[in-house]
Amino acid sequence: MSLAPARFPMGLSIPLGAELAALAAVGLLGVVGYVVFPDDLAFLTRLISITLLVLSLDLVTGYCGVATLGQAALFGVAAYAAGNACIAGLTNPFLLLIVGMLAGVVTGILSGLLIGRFRGLQQLVLSIAFGELVAALANKLTPWTGGSDGLSGITPAPVFGVFDFDLYGRTPYWLSVGTLAIVMAALAAFVRSPFSLTCEAIRDDDLRARMIGLAVYPRLIAMYAVSGAVAGAGGALTAITTGVVGLDSVSFERSAEVLVMLVLGGAGRLWGALMGAILFQVFEHYVTTSNPYSWLALVGLMLIAIVVFAPGGLMRGVDLARRRWMRRRA
Amino acid sequence: MALTLLSLIIDAVSYGMALFIISIGLSIMMGLMRVVNLAHGAFAMIGGYFASYALVSLGAPYLVAALIAVIGTIIVSIPFELLLYRRIYRKSDSLTQLLLTIGITFFIIGVMNFVFGPTVKPIPLPPWLSGPVDIGFRMVPAHRIFVVICGALTALALWVLFDRTDFGVRLRAAVDDSDMAESLGIRTDVLYLLTFALAVGLAAFGGVVGAELLPIEPYYALRYMVIFLVVVSVGGAGSIAGALAASFLLGLADTTGKYFMPEYGDFFFYAAVIAIVFLFPNGLLGREPA
Amino acid sequence: MNGLSRLLLAGIAFSIMGGAAFADAIKVGVIGPMSGPFALYGQNFKMGIDAWVAEHGSKVAGHDVEFIYRDEGTPNPAHSKALAQELLVKDKVDYLAGAYFTPDAMAIAPLLAEAKTPLVVMNAATSSITTKSPYIVRTSFTMWQNAVPAAKAAKAAGAKKVAIAVSDYGPGIDALDGFKKTFEGEGGSVVESIRMPLSTTDFGPIMQRIKDSGADMIFTFLPSGPPTLGFVKAYIDNGLKAQGVKLISTGDVVPDPDLAAIGDAGVGILSTYHYSVAHDSPENKAFLAQIAKDGAKVGEVTMTAVAAYDGARLIYKMIEATDGKRDPDKALAAVKGMQWTSPRGPVSIDPETRHITQNVYLRKVENVDGKLVNKEIETYKDQPDWGLEKH
Repeated sequence: MSLAPARFPMGLSIPLGAELAALAAVGLLGVVGYVVFPDDLAFLTRLISITLLVLSLDLVTGYCGVATLGQAALFGVAAYAAGNACIAGLTNPFLLLIVGMLAGVVTGILSGLLIGRFRGLQQLVLSIAFGELVAALANKLTPWTGGSDGLSGITPAPVFGVFDFDLYGRTPYWLSVGTLAIVMAALAAFVRSPFSLTCEAIRDDDLRARMIGLAVYPRLIAMYAVSGAVAGAGGALTAITTGVVGLDSVSFERSAEVLVMLVLGGAGRLWGALMGAILFQVFEHYVTTSNPYSWLALVGLMLIAIVVFAPGGLMRGVDLARRRWMRRRA
Repeated sequence: MALTLLSLIIDAVSYGMALFIISIGLSIMMGLMRVVNLAHGAFAMIGGYFASYALVSLGAPYLVAALIAVIGTIIVSIPFELLLYRRIYRKSDSLTQLLLTIGITFFIIGVMNFVFGPTVKPIPLPPWLSGPVDIGFRMVPAHRIFVVICGALTALALWVLFDRTDFGVRLRAAVDDSDMAESLGIRTDVLYLLTFALAVGLAAFGGVVGAELLPIEPYYALRYMVIFLVVVSVGGAGSIAGALAASFLLGLADTTGKYFMPEYGDFFFYAAVIAIVFLFPNGLLGREPA
Repeated sequence: MNGLSRLLLAGIAFSIMGGAAFADAIKVGVIGPMSGPFALYGQNFKMGIDAWVAEHGSKVAGHDVEFIYRDEGTPNPAHSKALAQELLVKDKVDYLAGAYFTPDAMAIAPLLAEAKTPLVVMNAATSSITTKSPYIVRTSFTMWQNAVPAAKAAKAAGAKKVAIAVSDYGPGIDALDGFKKTFEGEGGSVVESIRMPLSTTDFGPIMQRIKDSGADMIFTFLPSGPPTLGFVKAYIDNGLKAQGVKLISTGDVVPDPDLAAIGDAGVGILSTYHYSVAHDSPENKAFLAQIAKDGAKVGEVTMTAVAAYDGARLIYKMIEATDGKRDPDKALAAVKGMQWTSPRGPVSIDPETRHITQNVYLRKVENVDGKLVNKEIETYKDQPDWGLEKH
């Protein structure tokens, strides 16, 4: 078998089981979102774009152990690329997604070349420098990015020629849900691949990994390429569904925010990233309306609490619960 | 032209000195406790707030306010040290350190925002520090000269501390080999606490004297965090000379960049940072981490 | 399946509550920065609106008017668009208002046609915003509107060589273009055109460059906050002020709440702006008195309060003209060309651009009764949005 066996609670083993489960779960979440919050689809659509960015961060941080505060660059560049493509006349949403993913891959590789070279403080500083460099470029290259005014006038064609991007936001919502479902399924397969497992080895102990002959640097770059594709999908989605790309998509704040979401859910686990992203953004949506200044303090406390008490994030809690349930069955 | 260059160097030196005073604490913490303390800027900011409060609300004289700032910040930081920082000393997992210290930073920003509000807090300079000073060929703001003097004194004091005192000897021993140091009877936990207090105190001092260049407002902690990290990264952790050199270098890069090509300022600064990290992976004068 | 039905029930309950008992109420969704570094300006939106409602009641032509506030935060078009959509679809607002940042206003513009909802922009100052939808009207200002009179004032003050130093982003570049075009058009010469990175904290080298250019006046624009204070202080501390080089800016650089932080050294700084808290008129006095009565601090009043106050007036007029019905064309037709006396002075809505035409005042920072204020020393009457005129 080329893929590591999927872990299933009932001990079932279905071919492509993990992938189908991913598709089904995201689809189900999508339906729940549509039914329970029909007037909030715009918020949920934005949530999904950011979730894709969190997933991309999980690949490099959770699965490879890279400490980065510059991930937003991959997202933002893809958003600007998709936006420019749309303005230039390429209005098919699916093609725009592909443009975004390609831009994300290129930015990811560049990012990996720089950041993957070092560890520790150097790595962190390089990631920040790279992110800020991209942000500075975005501010300067006004013909491509609109500068601080943002790139506006992005009007994608209806999906399949039929479904319009209207006020109610149903089309962008389902487009986003569909993209997320496919990406999750693809990643579910990817993280069980030998390549991904070797990256986890590098994360756990890169000296030992080197000693068994794993080439660290090329692997990191490759992982960054995949991460770039995922982030690129998110970036393209945000450009298509919002119609405007602002400097916030390449900002340091965006990079820091998604790291917080990832850690909340549990880095190193796809479902952790998904859960963290969704829960954090939903929580933020309901809390910030009432208590503005304390929000940042709250996030800070949460981070501290996670590091001290629950380093695996919420996913660890889920795992513990599952293990207890399985032990009861045995 | 030569006059302009000299002028720029003066600006660079004073900016660099402000960076040095704040960043040296971070460098020391990194060198000894191997902690990447992203909350370092937050402590500098707290120092600034204490000073502002002392000057504006209590009417204290400038130097007294600076002292209050340093002592106040150290006191405020002790609980963080005891409860949180101890857990991450000498552990190499940079992600954990990153997350914990960013959490602390966010928390402090939120609290400062809540207590002091979002506006910039002035640190009014006493008359002997305000206004321009004529040094012949140009006017230099008086407080910049003050910052340079403070920076030089700080560097000197630290050198004496590390090279010439018992504390310094023990500190360097613990840096080189903490297990060995402990087995020789050096109380590393006390050492760490004292070093932490020193780092935080320096940050607070830097926050106060550097407030003209780096104004005190709640987002200070995040806004300038990058610069402090870059100084430590470029200078090499734990090296006074390295931090000085890095501060000057970055001050010079920033100043000349702003003079000759201001519209590309940010871009060149970060490109320079990337180049320097690639050229000097262990910093300008640092050593390979033990 | 208990959890799911509970969830569904909660969802239904929420939507019913959202609908509320005000079946006849006209709802206005106000999007502004209520938290974060720009919270003061968003709160000023509320101050202005509350002042208007306190004076004119919350009923227009028999309809109750309700203002709903949402937090814009920092510039984030996706977030603002989602907020607008939520207000339109869930809260079913009849009018949208606010928009502090340009990208956010740009993101909301495409929604207005389908939602048949007018947007009253209460801050975002890029000229092209009003061209994005026929249902947008603006009560704030644009950079060109304030920069053009600044150039004229500079010329009148006798400046021959001006150095321009602006923050390198949209509004800064607009200010630079507006000033340069006008000043050079009047025969002056711009000897230096510096675009400073937004992150600049150390303005020493910039001052050096300005000095080397031999300018006799500096025109500047920076976003208010740490950058403006740093710039003004560097101007003073590097001896430029002492050497007689004058400083003129748009009022964004010397907002009234920040004057205390700049201190006495700031006395004499010129600025052109459409509103000063120290504006001496009965309308302004009444406006500030009302704000004080509502419990807000007059020391925290900024230009967004007056923009919101006038914006509320426009909304009331639109509700009256359409008798509470959803008819954006009629609503906009009612306010195009409207004239009135605002707390800032006489104003009108330009029927072509749908932007507010207003007086722009040349002010000087002066110490009045122990307090630093922007004292108006000259008036440039009826300034339109020059940015749209030229294009």
